[in-house]
Amino acid sequence: MFLTSLQLRHFRNYADQAVTFSAPKTIVLGENAQGKSNLLEAVELLSMLKSHRTSRDRDLVQDGQTTAQITAAIDRGVGPHSVKMTLRSSGRRTSVLNGETLKRQIDLLGTLNTVQFSSLDLDLVRGGPAYRRGWLDGLLVQLEPFYAHLLNQYGRVLRQRNALLRKADRDETGFPVGDLSASLAVWDAQLAALGTRLIRRRARALERLTPLAQSWHEQISGQREELQIVYRPSVAREEPGLWTKPEGLQSAFFDKLKQRAIAEQVNGTSLVGPHRDEIEFLINATPARQYGSQGQQRTLVLALKLAELKLIDDVVGEPPLLLLDDVLAELDLNRQNQLLEVIQTRFQTLITTTHLSAFEADWLKSSQILTVEQGKILPADSL
Amino acid sequence: MNRPEAEIEALAQALLEAKAQVGQCSVCFHLSAEPVCNICRAPNRDNQTICVVADSRDVIALEKTREYRGKYHVLGGLISPMDGIGPEQLNIQPLIRRVSQQGTGEVILAISPSVEGETTTLYLGHLLKPFTTVTRIAFGLPMGGDLEYADEVTLARALEGRRELE
Repeated sequence: MFLTSLQLRHFRNYADQAVTFSAPKTIVLGENAQGKSNLLEAVELLSMLKSHRTSRDRDLVQDGQTTAQITAAIDRGVGPHSVKMTLRSSGRRTSVLNGETLKRQIDLLGTLNTVQFSSLDLDLVRGGPAYRRGWLDGLLVQLEPFYAHLLNQYGRVLRQRNALLRKADRDETGFPVGDLSASLAVWDAQLAALGTRLIRRRARALERLTPLAQSWHEQISGQREELQIVYRPSVAREEPGLWTKPEGLQSAFFDKLKQRAIAEQVNGTSLVGPHRDEIEFLINATPARQYGSQGQQRTLVLALKLAELKLIDDVVGEPPLLLLDDVLAELDLNRQNQLLEVIQTRFQTLITTTHLSAFEADWLKSSQILTVEQGKILPADSL
Repeated sequence: MNRPEAEIEALAQALLEAKAQVGQCSVCFHLSAEPVCNICRAPNRDNQTICVVADSRDVIALEKTREYRGKYHVLGGLISPMDGIGPEQLNIQPLIRRVSQQGTGEVILAISPSVEGETTTLYLGHLLKPFTTVTRIAFGLPMGGDLEYADEVTLARALEGRRELE
């Protein structure tokens, strides 16, 4: 798929800006805080329906305005697609796909697929489990749009169940008075049913992603290191292949709920389920989070991103866009070259940077270069 | 604003009267001006079947189809701890009493498939099964709709609720 044009109206610091993408690689050049990342954020919104920078649409609308609009033209194998997303400071969204207003926002998923790679992605290795869950969910939503629906439903069950746990009357020691288990039972059933489906989909996606990531990791590290990706659902017992059987997994879920019931009631929150899952990266059998050097961690993140590109390309049958936010200059020339070799002209790539000097000459040769200054985008005149 | 004054007054009067007169049916909790509503009093309707809905609006929607000949029971909402609504806040006890005392043959749960709707359905199913047959309405594709134009959520849901061809 190829994003041919993008128009931003009252979006972040853009009053009204149209951009046409004329080459497979576009470099967006500008000082900090001029709007480079805002441009990529708009693309991210169309692709995942959310931004990794904010969860409130109010933040996305230009100061002093009530609505923002992102309009895009996307060229796909079968023909052109047009998308228009309207964001309101009130939070309500409307999306129009090829002239038709969508009843549900999630019906927009799959129109534009992206893989993002920013300097923040080192948190995938160094940060808490929430980063890794968010990363996996973002990938899954693109591979299987129905996953977004399950995730929404699960989140809603979780909030209701937490409300029930939190609002229970408590004695002076903080322990709930009366028996909550009867009212919890119906929520437990839904938590386990939806949770099991999320876990199975997560396991399945990681199963497909792992060999791809391993092979990239081997290439980038010069075959010196071996990567393992281990999925640790919060409900799982130590039992290999547990999540291939839905019944077994669901009973493990209920067992864990029973086991943690008292802790949940004392804490007033849900402690069991996919919102507590962990995904662990091991390099040569050592957790990358604790022992990996910065270089090893970069190699790992790059391998994961390349694997994502390949997996979406394989499953969807069309290459996704690659969004490189301020990250290329951080990679050494060797890793830059490896990345360049993979994307060639197959993956449309949008790159933001503050300076061109760190780029390998090959990157600049075939790229369209734009400059951003205070919410205005201009073609770079002479370099 | 272009309407004559008298017409507006009549409308306002009608609204006030409706507000003053309409209460709830003491049997099924549907909107009613009488202590027992028209549907509950109708002698030609099937007493053996009760259709459980969240809201009076659902009764009106189902009645428009003229396909259902049984009785109703309006819960007055759905279980939602976030909004402080538990089973005790809904008309569930009267439903259990009705079903256990009058020998109902079937209870149809016609509750929307939202998270709160599913929870309420599960809860009621559990309570009612000892007394009677409990069924729920199917969810799936709209009639006359083309499979290829159905959205993925509906399609996935319809696939889950598939049944053997008779």
